Amino acid sequence: MLWVDKYRPKTLDQVLVHQDVAQNLKKLVTEQDCPHLLFYGPSGSGKKTLILALIRQIFGASADKVKVENRTWKIDAGSRTIDLELTTLSSTNHVELSPSDAGFQDRYIVQEIIKEMAKNRPIDTKGKKGFKVLVLNEVDKLSREAQHSLRRTMEKYSAYCRLILCCNSSSKVSEAIRSRCLNVRINAPTEEQVILLAIVIVSLGETLPCTYVCSNLKDIVMLGFGYFVSYNPIIKVLEFIGKKEGLQIPSGFADRIAEKSNRSLRRAILSFETCRVQQYPFTSNQTIPPMDWEEYISEIASDIMKEQSPKRLYQVRLKLYELLVNCIPPEIILKRLLYELLRKLDAELKHEVCHWAAYYEHRMRLGQKAIFHIEAFVAKFMSIYKAFLIATFG
Amino acid sequence: MAKSQSDIRKWFMKSHEKGNDNAAAKPAKSAPPPPKAAEKPSQAKSQLEKPVQGSEDKDNSGRRKTSKYFATEKPKDEKERVEVPAKRKTQNDGDDFIKPSPAKKIHKVDDDEDFVMPDTKKKSVDATPRKKLKSGPGRGAGQKPVDIDESDDDDGDIKDLVSPSKSGGRGRGGRGGSATPTGGRGGSATPSGGRGRGAGRGGFMNFGERKDPPNKGQKEVPEGAPDCLAGLTFVISGFKKLIRELRRFALASRGVSLEANRGIRAACTRLKPHAPQRFKPQRRTPQLTRLKPHRDQLKRSFRGVFLPPRLEVRLKALEREEAEDLIKRHGGRVTGSVSKKTNYLLCDEDIGGRKSEKAKELGTAFLTEDGLFDMIRASNHAKAPRQESKKSVDNAAVSLPKKSVQKTETKKDCTSGTPSKTVSNKGLTSDVSPRKNVQTTALTWTEKYKPKVPNDIIGNQSLVKQLHDWLARWHEQFLDAGSNKKGKKTNDSGAKKAVLLSGTPGIGKTTSAKLVSQMLGFQTIEVNASDSRGKADAKIERGIGGSNANSVKELVSNESLSFNNMDWSKHPKTVLIMDEVDGMSAGDRGGIADLISSIKISKIPIICICNDRYSQKLKSLVNYCLLLSFRKPTKQQMAKRLMQVANFEGLQVNEIALEELAERVNGDMRMALNQLHYMSLSMSVIKFDDVRQRMLMSAKDEDISPFTAVEKLFGFNAGKLRMDERIDLSMSDLDLVPLIIQENYLNYRPSSVGKDDNGIKRMNSIARAAESIGDGDIFNVQIRKYRQWQLSQNSALSSCIIPSALLHGQRETLEQGERNFNRFGGWLGKNSTQGKNLRLLEDLHVHFLASRESNLGR
Repeated sequence: MLWVDKYRPKTLDQVLVHQDVAQNLKKLVTEQDCPHLLFYGPSGSGKKTLILALIRQIFGASADKVKVENRTWKIDAGSRTIDLELTTLSSTNHVELSPSDAGFQDRYIVQEIIKEMAKNRPIDTKGKKGFKVLVLNEVDKLSREAQHSLRRTMEKYSAYCRLILCCNSSSKVSEAIRSRCLNVRINAPTEEQVILLAIVIVSLGETLPCTYVCSNLKDIVMLGFGYFVSYNPIIKVLEFIGKKEGLQIPSGFADRIAEKSNRSLRRAILSFETCRVQQYPFTSNQTIPPMDWEEYISEIASDIMKEQSPKRLYQVRLKLYELLVNCIPPEIILKRLLYELLRKLDAELKHEVCHWAAYYEHRMRLGQKAIFHIEAFVAKFMSIYKAFLIATFG
Repeated sequence: MAKSQSDIRKWFMKSHEKGNDNAAAKPAKSAPPPPKAAEKPSQAKSQLEKPVQGSEDKDNSGRRKTSKYFATEKPKDEKERVEVPAKRKTQNDGDDFIKPSPAKKIHKVDDDEDFVMPDTKKKSVDATPRKKLKSGPGRGAGQKPVDIDESDDDDGDIKDLVSPSKSGGRGRGGRGGSATPTGGRGGSATPSGGRGRGAGRGGFMNFGERKDPPNKGQKEVPEGAPDCLAGLTFVISGFKKLIRELRRFALASRGVSLEANRGIRAACTRLKPHAPQRFKPQRRTPQLTRLKPHRDQLKRSFRGVFLPPRLEVRLKALEREEAEDLIKRHGGRVTGSVSKKTNYLLCDEDIGGRKSEKAKELGTAFLTEDGLFDMIRASNHAKAPRQESKKSVDNAAVSLPKKSVQKTETKKDCTSGTPSKTVSNKGLTSDVSPRKNVQTTALTWTEKYKPKVPNDIIGNQSLVKQLHDWLARWHEQFLDAGSNKKGKKTNDSGAKKAVLLSGTPGIGKTTSAKLVSQMLGFQTIEVNASDSRGKADAKIERGIGGSNANSVKELVSNESLSFNNMDWSKHPKTVLIMDEVDGMSAGDRGGIADLISSIKISKIPIICICNDRYSQKLKSLVNYCLLLSFRKPTKQQMAKRLMQVANFEGLQVNEIALEELAERVNGDMRMALNQLHYMSLSMSVIKFDDVRQRMLMSAKDEDISPFTAVEKLFGFNAGKLRMDERIDLSMSDLDLVPLIIQENYLNYRPSSVGKDDNGIKRMNSIARAAESIGDGDIFNVQIRKYRQWQLSQNSALSSCIIPSALLHGQRETLEQGERNFNRFGGWLGKNSTQGKNLRLLEDLHVHFLASRESNLGR
């Protein structure tokens, strides 16, 4: 089992990175009825962890017994019937699904399937809670129509159904939906948090059944093992770990992991585990294996900076295809590409390039074939940059 | 002379004598060994410009024709060689073979200026033996006496036309020369020369130093005087040979990657000649029809395969149609195979093969693309009056042999319908016979000019004859024979009681059936698809029901009564024409079976007519019928008839235009007449371009491959396309064209930006194009997701037209070893891989979740 899953907090109490949020949620569901919730935040910040912990909080252990169900729905859409295949993850009290999987037919999922699920009262009326929970992933990828049809469902069936929406960017969720939900922002953990997390995991190794994502050292101490560690975080912890596990963590190593992780817990833990597998006694200059795709994008960026020609653009296109084929989301590609470009760019161009990146990112969302828009951005950049170079250097 | 004949020559002669008694006999006796033959006339006719060279050439062309090899050391010599032979030879041959009268000789002496018809006639006669000499056995006596000399003289004329515009110093002999790329109208761009148009004669093979032929689309296609090629015949060569070579390459290529090799093999197997049925008939002559899908397929199959540059270049140069149109637009004609009529063989290099060999044999001039362009361009500069006069001479020269050619087709029309305007008019006035309907009624032309007697039917005369014979002998065979022996059992051609005429629509099946019956005095009863033709009632014996089938049954069996009464000779004879038998549909259940049983018991002849004889429905029927498959008439036949009609209607049409029309309608005479009728309503003079435009419009449905569309959009001449044409092109496949455009727009070097030192303009254009393609994608989402189909034009505009308008130009390769063809859009493949990976990822994700939950839950 991956450390990511292994050390995932299971209850709201165990959640520590967003401890305040977790505590608030706990109060919310214990004291009163739970409203619709919208969790948003960057990936790897712990949204899903919180949601699962929340569900467990509401329904108790029964929420852990989930089954994967792959079902084909026949939907009568006016003149024709549409077959939709949908994979859901459900327990007796909650159903988790990603409606955006259906692509442009997502509104049928919202209009039919979700409505169908929302309509039915939970059978188990003996339970304290008279409602069930629908967890919708990636709501920001839902089409506008789907979002529109969702809002009616949210109101109409709110008596016995709660929706928990999960997305990366709330700006892509329509205002109507946002106003119907309690918005919970899950921000990315700070680097310190990540460092600590990494250290905790290493230090614990396999010794504890589960570990907690900590927001500060105190928490480690309290929750972990009862050791007292001083407030000077890293060094002390390293010493501690050395004692505990016999591991040698060179100073700066955890720092670098945290830095590379881009404040994503998941990535930090993953790359940490990778490092552990790669070379166990850590050395101070051990390379932390970077994400391949990021490397690739930075390669693309330097390609673009080096030469602006149709030929280069064609090569860039092939590389972009490579990324897309490997399921790197186009938004992330574009964002990362912009990031890499900005690092190398003259200050006076930055504003313009950012503008165009935003422009094409928006169009990418309107369109369907992401590569066209990324390519258009690259072409635009090349054109701007080339003009700039010629103007500057003649 | 006869003594000095070489053995080989004798051998050739012999074989001729078999097939040819009058023409070949003389040459056999008098055929000179080349050197002597050449010398003699040269002495005799001192006025001839270059007798010695002529003889030399005679030598070359006569003897070494089959081996191609004149080096290029002496371009000048070569030019002359090339120039003279045609005339010289004629004269030699004429002298030796036919013994022309002194008067004729005189004519010949100055024939390059005053070329007149008597000459042609004579030559057309004497050319035959000469040709025989060269072609050896296999040419029958019935050969059409069309001559090469005539065509070569046309060359001369044209050349005269052209020469004023040429660079100086070329003189008369400049034809094959290529001293200056522009000047060498026959010449390729190679300054090394030697592969000029005259190369067929002499120095042909410069494989080593040959430059690649000019890529298509890189040069502006010139526009010349409309009739500058009138009277000339072209053959476009190089395709089959290429296929053959590709196949050979495929077989030999061990070094090629497995995949590439497979591609080649696949292409070659697909190109095997024995699978012609698979190709959809298109609006082309049969020959081109067969080749066209080949070409596309070939191009596609070899995409991404690394080929030797030689093959590569040629594969690229397969742009027959454009050349064809160009020639036709300027009044020339394009034929499928080399004959004596052929003036030029259009090919970019000597690639051997039957056509080029034959062309060399016949002395047909070779012409490259450049040469053709120059020729056309030159026509603009040439003085108009001169051109006129020359042309008329051309026409006169061409016309006579043509006439004799057509003798074989239908005796009746042998004097009419020659390809040249002047003669055809003359011919027609004499030919339009009183049998035509003179009154100007509102009849459609198809009715008005329907054949009135079987001989009027265009083409398929032998079939009509067969039908006639069958029908004429029907009664004696089946009714009289019934008395002495079972006539049905005889196995000769008349043994079938019914006949099945098959063929594409509009080629006169029904007309033939009716006319033949009418001629033989039969009364026709026609049952066609408008009648219900189901199975007859079983109770037919009881009485006649209302059903048509019943009446057919009755008709078929009733005749026996009249036969029994032995008065059928007085009784009007009846024939049943079952039209459109393959159209028997669900409503006509059991129709075919019933028809068969009717045939079995029939006492009257039955003519069945269908379009597709291989139709599954007719499988059982064909066993009971004599099968007559009507073929499409040739375009010449059709054009001839159309010309008659046009003349009769007072319509001014040019022969080439009519041939184009005939070709476009794909042998459908009815459609051709309808089109002509329609066009006659709006204009009184119809030119090639009119026909072409009109037929192109109506032929739009013909599927154009997305690659072709993209190629046109990005082509060098794309700037001239009208907007609706562009929309049509991009709409030809709304899904694929944008993808292919997106895939390839980077490869084009825009011709519109002009001078572009550092590529900044191009980069800007690309950025704009890319944005526009993005627009197209957004439109596409609107169209597909929200069914806003009214936006499809905008989508076409932004995803295809704007990018192509910005970037159209010459294509260049971006990567080493890449083929310079448009790639197929990569998006589809990538997207499907991405989709697959996403699905896998999703599955993985779900399973992870599930397993985690259960693990933790325990």
